[in-house]
Amino acid sequence: MISTKDLTKKFGDLTAVDHLSLSVKEGELLCLLGANGAGKSTTINMLLNFVAPTSGSATINGLDATRHPIKTKEFITYIPENLMLYPMLTAIENLDYFSGITGRQLAQSSLTGFLEEAGLQKDAFHKRISTFSKGMRQKVGIAIALAKDTKVLLLDEPTSGLDPKASNEFGNLLQKLRGKGVAILMATHDLFRAKVVATHIGIMKDGKLVQQFVADDISLPQLEKTYLETMNYKEVLS
Amino acid sequence: MIIKTFVKETKESWRDGRVRIAFLIVLLLLAMAVWVGVRQYQNVNEQYRTAKNTERILWDNQGEKNPHSAAHYGTYAFKPKYPLSLVDQGVDKYVGTSIFLEAHKRNEAQFSAAADQTGLARFGDLTPDFILLFIIPLLIILLGYNSFTKEREMGTYTLLKSQGASNWKWAMGKWMSLFIPIFAITALLFLITGILLSNLKDFGVFKWQSLLTMFVIYMGYYIIFINIVLIISSRAKKSGIALVLSLSVWILACLAAPKAASNIAEAKHPYPTRQEFAANVLKDKKDGLDGHNPWSKESKLLEQQVLAEHGVDSLHQLPFNFDAYRMQKGEEHEAEVYFKHYNYLKDQFAQQSKVYKGLAIISPYLPTRFLSMAVAQTDYATHWDFADAAEDYRIATQKFLNDHFAENSNYGDWSYQADANFWVGLPSFEYDPPELGEILTDNTSSLWILGAWLALSFSILLITTKTI
Amino acid sequence: MLRYNFIYELRILLRSRWIQLLSLLLLLLFGFSAFNGKEKVEKRKVDIAAAKQEVLDTDQSMLKLLDSVERGMAVSASPWTIPTSPMAVANYYPRVVAMDPQPMAFVSTGQADIFTHYVKPTATGDDFALNFTEMTSPVQLLFGSFDLAFVIVYLLPLLIIAFSYNVLSSEKESGSLRLLASQPISIRKWVFQKLILRFFWLSVLVVTTLVLVILIVGIQPLEWSKVFGLLGLALSYMLFWFSLAFLVNLYVGSSAKNAVSLLGLWVVFVLLVPSVLNQLAGTLYPMPSRTLMINEMRERKVEATKRQDEILDNFLRDHPEYAINDSTQTRSFYHNYMASQKVVKEELAPIVNAYETQLKKQQSWSRQLQWTSPAIVVQESLNNLSGTSTADYENYRRQVIAFSESWREHFMSFLYNNTLFKSEDHTNLPQFQYHALGQSGVPKAILILLAMALVLLGLGFAVQGATRQKGILAD
Repeated sequence: MISTKDLTKKFGDLTAVDHLSLSVKEGELLCLLGANGAGKSTTINMLLNFVAPTSGSATINGLDATRHPIKTKEFITYIPENLMLYPMLTAIENLDYFSGITGRQLAQSSLTGFLEEAGLQKDAFHKRISTFSKGMRQKVGIAIALAKDTKVLLLDEPTSGLDPKASNEFGNLLQKLRGKGVAILMATHDLFRAKVVATHIGIMKDGKLVQQFVADDISLPQLEKTYLETMNYKEVLS
Repeated sequence: MIIKTFVKETKESWRDGRVRIAFLIVLLLLAMAVWVGVRQYQNVNEQYRTAKNTERILWDNQGEKNPHSAAHYGTYAFKPKYPLSLVDQGVDKYVGTSIFLEAHKRNEAQFSAAADQTGLARFGDLTPDFILLFIIPLLIILLGYNSFTKEREMGTYTLLKSQGASNWKWAMGKWMSLFIPIFAITALLFLITGILLSNLKDFGVFKWQSLLTMFVIYMGYYIIFINIVLIISSRAKKSGIALVLSLSVWILACLAAPKAASNIAEAKHPYPTRQEFAANVLKDKKDGLDGHNPWSKESKLLEQQVLAEHGVDSLHQLPFNFDAYRMQKGEEHEAEVYFKHYNYLKDQFAQQSKVYKGLAIISPYLPTRFLSMAVAQTDYATHWDFADAAEDYRIATQKFLNDHFAENSNYGDWSYQADANFWVGLPSFEYDPPELGEILTDNTSSLWILGAWLALSFSILLITTKTI
Repeated sequence: MLRYNFIYELRILLRSRWIQLLSLLLLLLFGFSAFNGKEKVEKRKVDIAAAKQEVLDTDQSMLKLLDSVERGMAVSASPWTIPTSPMAVANYYPRVVAMDPQPMAFVSTGQADIFTHYVKPTATGDDFALNFTEMTSPVQLLFGSFDLAFVIVYLLPLLIIAFSYNVLSSEKESGSLRLLASQPISIRKWVFQKLILRFFWLSVLVVTTLVLVILIVGIQPLEWSKVFGLLGLALSYMLFWFSLAFLVNLYVGSSAKNAVSLLGLWVVFVLLVPSVLNQLAGTLYPMPSRTLMINEMRERKVEATKRQDEILDNFLRDHPEYAINDSTQTRSFYHNYMASQKVVKEELAPIVNAYETQLKKQQSWSRQLQWTSPAIVVQESLNNLSGTSTADYENYRRQVIAFSESWREHFMSFLYNNTLFKSEDHTNLPQFQYHALGQSGVPKAILILLAMALVLLGLGFAVQGATRQKGILAD
């Protein structure tokens, strides 16, 4: 569903993403780990055509993301690190707006249905977004994904800044979506959450995918050890 | 601390391309404006000299003529252009430049430049005062609107606070970084203007003190703007809001308030129309002595009075020509009528000035504009002063002519002709505009208003930066 | 997309109180300025009416005097003012030659504050020395008038800038752009729709408040086609500024940069271009010096006075029609004066015409270049619509001169025939009726403005390919 081949992005002399090839199939969740500047967000940005790749290709559902930016986005839902919605509008209005401008007219009942499914408390449906916490805003984001019947979910640091309970809830939502056959790509620093929700885990460094595991094959301490080793933090361990 | 902040701010804004471009554009505009101004100034003064000389030659070479015919023939008073009009054109464009001086009649200055221009002229001219009054305040806003808000937005604010930086010194640094470039650009303009003016051929009336006074006035104006911009920046939550607020202040002070003031002033204290004014004058003239009408009641009264005074019983026995004497008395009556009506205009304008001064509460532009025009001798008061001087000269000329007529001819002798060389005896019209000291005393209220703006804006700035 | 943008844009504008604020502001600005305009027009009407009434009154006293003289009664007036003398009527009983305000005069003061709206030309007065300027404090002229045209030309663009400078950049800065850009829509189209919707709402507000204000001000015989002209001008001018905002939103970047760029454009179009054009017009087609004109005029007059008798003889030979029935051959001061005045006038005509031709050249030059700034297009069109443009006052001046010519000629035949003015001649006195200029050129101006706006919008869409290649958030 999501795949990249030799995807490369250079900003001047700096190579942010270096010949990256990966693939996420339906129902899979790939977590990309890595330090700041490892190229995780740039990869996501290229999948969204927010930035154009220098070379290589990114495809969504078999379509090139650079050549068909609008067509590919029909399959994607993206939740950035700090999801911002329209503060002047309520949760349900935001959902209605974002579905509406992409040509999906939804009845009031289905709108509430999606918000409910995304786990937002009922009394918040008609409150303005300006009063919402990050967790609540993310739930609206998930509702947008649900309403869109999304095939691909791109997440950039979704759990940073969430309290453990909200983070757990979010993880459960992801499992539910995965169960529906959504392909999820998630960039994160949160090793614990990655271990819990991912089907596959990759570690990026200097724009390259240097390690890749199936999540069930590795324990959390092993994951942490490998991660730190990859990051050259050997001295901390000894 | 003050110096550090100043250096940092200056570096920041210099590295910002927009600021550099804006600065260059302002300099370019100023250069253009000064160049155009110098050319215009030379041109107008050349015309002034030619006109004045030609007019005098015409007067001197009238040949043998009855003095009263010469009085009707009249002469012209031309208004010179003053050096500082190069910096501030003031109302020059809207007032006439020549006054026809004739018997029985006080004329207004004729031929204003604006009446000979297209509607485009009403948008304003590219003159130094336009840039000094409108564009530089905009530049201040552009340089300073995000002085404080950017620190908040970039998060450097908390860092600075945690360093134990003194608010006051911090704010002073920012103030300096706005003030110094503005000071430099203005000083440069005034310096160039001064050098240009003192190198022009006859700069007789140009004085460095006046230029310096003007400079100080503009610096006061800019300091007020700097204070306002910093106050807004220190209180606003976001740069965008600070920008919009500062601009609103600019629009209100420089565009809206003067126009609104002009409308209110006119509605409350209107001038009569030209025709009404003429009709009113005519009505008052009729109520008194008419020098040309020996049959009127007033003439008869004057006749009896003069006869009694000289102890004779016929006008022919008087030692002077009574016709000319009556002419002079009529002239004096008419002069009084004009004096009264022009004073009414002045009163109306004084009332209007109060409206302008009242609205100066919302606009530092107004006192600055009035002071700048006054020092440049291009304001309405100078024009009045010139018109009054011309009127005094007209009255003196009439007396000169009538007295000569009275002393050198007999009653009823309308065919008397003065010698061809008599006309040279009339002193020529010389006008000296008011001196700087006098101008400043006349404009103390504007100075006070500007001072109040300065004091108020400084104290508000101090208070706001203390509690930032 | 449009449907949803429409619904939610309105909600957001209402909740952020933009609509309320703008309505209030527009109502205030339009109200105050229209009131000012109306006040000026009223004063103008009252002044003209008073002057006309005065003429009616003096005419009554003239008829009374004539009646007394004709019945051989003694009168107390000075001998040279008695209206049996045709020149006394020609000089002491002038008509009011008035320029009546056009129905839309309240919209733009234009040149109305500089020039007078009625004169009373006499037979002996010099036409070219007629003072057409009004008695106004020059400070007022300097500051200008807070009229509807000022609000539309100067302030409306600033409101538009404040209303639209950050349509895209605020999304970027608040972070909602990332979610929006991940939707399968074209951001360019989305910005376009947002701005068009804002344009639509602002237009609705402008049209309603303007119509409301015009109805309240109540300019009597409303010429609706002219009101439509006014609305059309305002709306197309607004569209121009929204198109600029569209371009700036797409290509500039942060909110602050957008605001500064738009403001810079405002300074250029509204302040700089007009003043530079004016300066250039004056340099290219300089006005001859008025002070030197005075010299010239005086010299010619001296000449003419010296040759008085000769001039009169020539004049009577050239114009036998003036004295066909004269058998008395009486010659007075006026016979000489009028003849030499005519000669001086003819000699000075080229000098005086020089001003008019120069002014005409300046005007046609600036008309050709007005498209460099939409502000000029709108201001000039509003002046034309209001009948207060330079051309209108020139038209008035021409009509005044033609009238004073016919006034003079009317009395010339009396003078040179040495006939007396009688009561029955009163009804035959020439009367003045002002004829306003026919075409206002407003439709053309609207077309020019719309064309400018379309070019800008087209520019916004034309360069689409390039940015799509780079990606939306390339920076």
